[in-house]
Amino acid sequence: MSCHQTPEIVADYFDQQLSPQARQALQQHLSDCQHCRAEIALLEPARGMLLSWQQQSVPDWDRGHGPALHNHRQPLRKRPSRAAWRDVGRWIPLAASLILSVAVLTQTRLDVSEQGWQLSFGNSAAERQLAQLDVYLAEQARIQRQQNQALLQTALQEFGDSTADNLYQLADWFEQQRELDIRRMEAGFQQMLDRDYQTVNSVQQLASFVQYQNEQP
Amino acid sequence: MDHDSELIANALNGSLPAWEALVRRYEGRVYNYSLRLTGNRDDAQDLMQDVFLGVYRNLERFRGESQFVSWLFRIAHNKAVDLARRRSASPVKDQGLPDDPDAWPDAHRTAEGPQELALAGEKNAVIQALLQALTSEQRLILELKVFQSMTFDEIAMMQDISANTAKTRFYAALRKLRALMEGHHELSPDP
Repeated sequence: MSCHQTPEIVADYFDQQLSPQARQALQQHLSDCQHCRAEIALLEPARGMLLSWQQQSVPDWDRGHGPALHNHRQPLRKRPSRAAWRDVGRWIPLAASLILSVAVLTQTRLDVSEQGWQLSFGNSAAERQLAQLDVYLAEQARIQRQQNQALLQTALQEFGDSTADNLYQLADWFEQQRELDIRRMEAGFQQMLDRDYQTVNSVQQLASFVQYQNEQP
Repeated sequence: MDHDSELIANALNGSLPAWEALVRRYEGRVYNYSLRLTGNRDDAQDLMQDVFLGVYRNLERFRGESQFVSWLFRIAHNKAVDLARRRSASPVKDQGLPDDPDAWPDAHRTAEGPQELALAGEKNAVIQALLQALTSEQRLILELKVFQSMTFDEIAMMQDISANTAKTRFYAALRKLRALMEGHHELSPDP
């Protein structure tokens, strides 16, 4: 009669580190399971044979073999000096990245002109450029304004007095429209005030009541 | 006597005597381990050298979180697995077993008498031969459990298997060994 637990039971039986609780459960199982008892009795000599191994002495050998072989290629504690020269290629990209980062952060600028080249830091160069741009734009606006005035004077001379009369009429019409708008706006405002008169009165009464309440001891 | 940690620290600082003292402390266990796994002295010595070379190369990585001997045998285990793979690629010649089973050692014999002591080498040779008839996986699990007294949980972690699988392998290895002792290659399966 077989037992599906036999592999685990046998392994536990030969396990010297088994906990007392597990050992007790194992003994309980063995007392009930003839198959596992038989299996242990069968395998016990195999384990016993292994344990009869006689410790053999180590033949002479080069114990410094490891350090000798290892140090020949890479000493354990002298890695920094080795790394400084042999691994220099590994540091070049890192150094380049660092230099570029510093250049970006300090806004380093290299200006090359006919007079030579100039290295500048910070935003002074950029500010100078912006100031130059402002002066340039102001000058361009002034020129444009002069050109427009000249063009307008020329046009007025060409169209003569009739054109000038039309312009005056247009200006009068604009003035009348403006006055009309103001009157409409005043009428609307007055209407709104009349509509909310009662509401304002109610608020005033409420305010008076609150003030009266606050004045009571 | 210096602790392992002191010897390790001194060895890392370049002290050859400290390294050699560390090696002497564990070389017996590693050599016998190698002898049982490889089955012959030359290969055992090569494996032992390989193990200690691995230990030396990785000594800086030993953090002292586990016992040094556990860490050392983890390296030894990996080296033995590597060796088994190389061997499976180019199998070695069968060592052969003695024809007479009475010449095989068993648990009831002791090595206390002079005659028994003289037979000790022969006993070991038989054990080595029997172990070589197992698969490398079975040999390793018997080694770790019987000789290195590791728990099944530790073996499971080392071999990246479950504890139950480790127990099943151990049982199968023991049965195979028993069958070899009886002069059979396989035990008949359970009815």
